[in-house]
Amino acid sequence: MYCITEQQIDYILDDIRRNGIDMEDLQLNLLDHICCIIEQELEENDDFERFYHKTVQQFYKHELREIEEETINLLTFKNYYAMKKAMYISGAISVGAFVIGSLFKIMFWPGVAAMLIFGILVFSLVFLPLLFVLKTRELTAVRDKLILGLGTIAGILYCLSALWLLMRWSGKHEIWLATLAFTFFVFLPAYFFTGIRKPETRVNTIVSTIIIIGVIGIQFTLTALRRPESERMPVNTDEKVRTNPGNIGNATSNK
Amino acid sequence: MIYSSELIKGTLKTIVLKLLNDNKKMYGYEITQRVKEMTGEKIQITEGALYPTLHALEQEGLLTTQVEYMGKRVRKYYSLSPEGKAKTKERVKEFASFMDTMAFLLDIKPKIA
Repeated sequence: MYCITEQQIDYILDDIRRNGIDMEDLQLNLLDHICCIIEQELEENDDFERFYHKTVQQFYKHELREIEEETINLLTFKNYYAMKKAMYISGAISVGAFVIGSLFKIMFWPGVAAMLIFGILVFSLVFLPLLFVLKTRELTAVRDKLILGLGTIAGILYCLSALWLLMRWSGKHEIWLATLAFTFFVFLPAYFFTGIRKPETRVNTIVSTIIIIGVIGIQFTLTALRRPESERMPVNTDEKVRTNPGNIGNATSNK
Repeated sequence: MIYSSELIKGTLKTIVLKLLNDNKKMYGYEITQRVKEMTGEKIQITEGALYPTLHALEQEGLLTTQVEYMGKRVRKYYSLSPEGKAKTKERVKEFASFMDTMAFLLDIKPKIA
């Protein structure tokens, strides 16, 4: 049995750390494992370093850090499938609540507010964050993950401002302006300048950026920042119907 | 014949749990060697698969650990927690049923000794 020295232990530990194993627990596990192999299989006169490198190469396909990545994957995403299922279910529920809520709204049926609030909140606070977590797993570059994160925040803000405007809650203009500012000055520049650098994403980035600006721009023109005295710039269809004298009778009878 | 890593991957947790059930406490290297011995080297657990699995089982609360200091080295022993013991029974039972299903599905005739 080969007798391993303290310097050799330090050498192995340094090499493990240098090759991307940062979790202390895993470092110690691998160190003991390698020491065991060396003690069992190395002959007294053999070359330690050569044997060590040959041994450690059998631990991975491309590089040692794969072990740590796999460990993190298992620890972080042990609920991966449950999360994916939750994402589909929350997406379906929120879209369903939104569509039915919208139908109730134009028909003046009761329960509109509860359905729309529920639909939008589930979509923005459950579906979008889950989508972000699951999608980041597929991305490797930190920059791409950051842009996905910014996009998710912009999406959440957009949904919440739609809710605030729809329900005419106080602070609706502030949240809408915050959404616009965040989208135009933070998300879009980051998305655009990252996307156009890569030839394979250039066209897609330009088209998507124009569509985003177009859609938000059109919605911005529909938004009244200051409520006109005559209330002639309704924010939603509910208000539009109520302010139209021809529909007052119908609206009242439906309630 | 050494079995492919795809086959081992799906059964590794069950193998580790059963070994720990039969051996009280074991450390990583010991687990790989025991499996190699018991299977006549047909199943060779790689370090790259074993340690992530051990960490995941520990986090799931199925394993408990105990460390032993050996100079600059630290040896981590793994053993089953009460939940781990229950899970082992469940896993082994599930795998036995899976083998029956696969034998039927692939039309494998049992070998008569």
